[in-house]
Amino acid sequence: MTRESGWRDLVRQASYQLLRNPLVVFGLVVIAAWLLIALAAPLLAPREPLAQNVNLRLQAPSADYRFGTDDLGRDVFSRVLYGARLTIPSGIAVVVIGSIIGTLIGGVAGYLGGFWDEALMRITELFMAFPTIILALAITAALGPDIRNAIVALVIVWWPQYARLVRGLVLEVKTQEYVTAVKSVGAGGSYTLFRTIIPNCIAPAIILATLDVGTAILTFAGLSFLGLGADPSSPEWGRMVSIGIDFFNQWWMWLFPGLAIASLVLAFNFVGDGLRDLLDPRMRKQ
Amino acid sequence: MSFQRYLLRRILFIIPVCFGITLFAFVIANAVPADPITANLPQSALNNQDIIDAFRQRWGLDQPPHVQYLTYVGNLLRGDLGTSIKTRQPVAEDIGKFLPATIELATVGIVFGIAMGVAFGIISAVWRNSLIDYIVRVFSLIGVSFPVFVLALLGLTVLHAQLGWLPGPGRLAVLLDDPPYVTGLFLVDSLLAGQWDVFGDAFSRLILPGLVLGAYVSGIIARITRSSLLNVIGLDYMRTARSKGLRESWAIWRHALPNALIPVVTVIGLSYSNLLSGAVLTESIFAWPGIGRYMFRASTSQDFPAIMGGSIIIALIYVGVNFIVDILYYFIDPRIRLA
Repeated sequence: MTRESGWRDLVRQASYQLLRNPLVVFGLVVIAAWLLIALAAPLLAPREPLAQNVNLRLQAPSADYRFGTDDLGRDVFSRVLYGARLTIPSGIAVVVIGSIIGTLIGGVAGYLGGFWDEALMRITELFMAFPTIILALAITAALGPDIRNAIVALVIVWWPQYARLVRGLVLEVKTQEYVTAVKSVGAGGSYTLFRTIIPNCIAPAIILATLDVGTAILTFAGLSFLGLGADPSSPEWGRMVSIGIDFFNQWWMWLFPGLAIASLVLAFNFVGDGLRDLLDPRMRKQ
Repeated sequence: MSFQRYLLRRILFIIPVCFGITLFAFVIANAVPADPITANLPQSALNNQDIIDAFRQRWGLDQPPHVQYLTYVGNLLRGDLGTSIKTRQPVAEDIGKFLPATIELATVGIVFGIAMGVAFGIISAVWRNSLIDYIVRVFSLIGVSFPVFVLALLGLTVLHAQLGWLPGPGRLAVLLDDPPYVTGLFLVDSLLAGQWDVFGDAFSRLILPGLVLGAYVSGIIARITRSSLLNVIGLDYMRTARSKGLRESWAIWRHALPNALIPVVTVIGLSYSNLLSGAVLTESIFAWPGIGRYMFRASTSQDFPAIMGGSIIIALIYVGVNFIVDILYYFIDPRIRLA
């Protein structure tokens, strides 16, 4: 009980501190707005995102077509709104799945120690020896270009940092007295690890995950830009920018989806930055 | 610890990593469900079993995987990375051609990035919590949040298409010939050959992609410089330095900066190896014939000798740059010498 109310206090205090930072508030508002747009896209979008109108190709923004039309006469505004439904869940999925896999692998490595720790961590380091985008590129290309495969590829490059982080935390936590206590009353290995140790290591992993969503979205959009994510017709932001590359002067085709990515990633980074400032004890002192 | 022993320990540490990298690249290139045959043979040849068999034999696809791997490593040790299925050139030769373009671009990018990032970071830390600090912080966050491909398109549209200040994509104007190959770096080779027009054109074409890469990197460098410098500025020895009457600027320049530099060097090293390996997006927008674009083309055509060779070289660069950073620590941070 005491531990729980302690947590609650800490969370309340932290959120109070966080919300005093205007950039954090701004970031949270932008994220919330994008989530709302993603949910309500069919209500908000004036047109179907895939509907083509050959007579109205490459129209500049106007009152009717707020963000103009693209090379196939599709409404860029509606496409950007619908794009939120593809990019946001993809970025979040990468981080959520990647952090769960990483936590499991890092947790097992740290808990078992010895041979398994060595083996699992050397494998983890190998994944980290390759630059993110190159590895994701090779994997997506191999699996075939498609949104789900892009997510799979990103998960494969995403988990190692979590494995590393959680392993380190598990090594620290498993020497604590309450862990010995749990074991002494006869708890099995998996119970000890998953019910006692990991819940006590999870907070830093969750924080890393929050900081990470922006990067994941950026990388996902990058893969799509290269043609390895969404298929050409789908209103994915990165993909829309890549089509605009042949249309310098029809800037509305690529600038609006580009700004959509940037605003969302920036919002996540504002929040992440505030969180980091709050958590760094040396920063707090000043 | 003596420098030699430190060096030796770092080198010994690298060997198993290199071995692991080759194995890993091999597994990725082979474990994929995609079929290199359908990706690389024309439609008309797919019905002809003789052609398919010949193709399998030519690329060793008829051997069991462990034999393929050992053959590959054996060849690798002799500097033979195999032949690219797509370009039909030796992969090592291809990389020798594409890598200098990337090195040139990444170096310009990191120079821009360091210049902007360190300067902004110092300004931001010295006048912390002032208006200029906020502006710099917001801009550096924008730098890391803006997708490079959007930044590149913005730059091309405004500075090239609209204003005409900078040339468009490509490493050299169509009318100019490549300078005679010495290092593969156009800036160096054109100077060696005394071709000033080539040098000027190559240089002007590096500015925009370099700025785009630099903008991203400078955001990261500025943030780390700021926080690292802030940590040091608050320490006791800095108070001592001030109390003995040093000017603030001198105290920061001479006493704070050297100590604040260590995390900055790490980030610069990491960013540089990222630029050398991961500039796929920038290279594809600027039609830059670099290693990132080579890897991209290899990946989309299941050209696995090229994928393997390319990713091994890139991973080695990654490991190599980090190695150099480790060595630099030894000189920057005397505490390591005692460890």
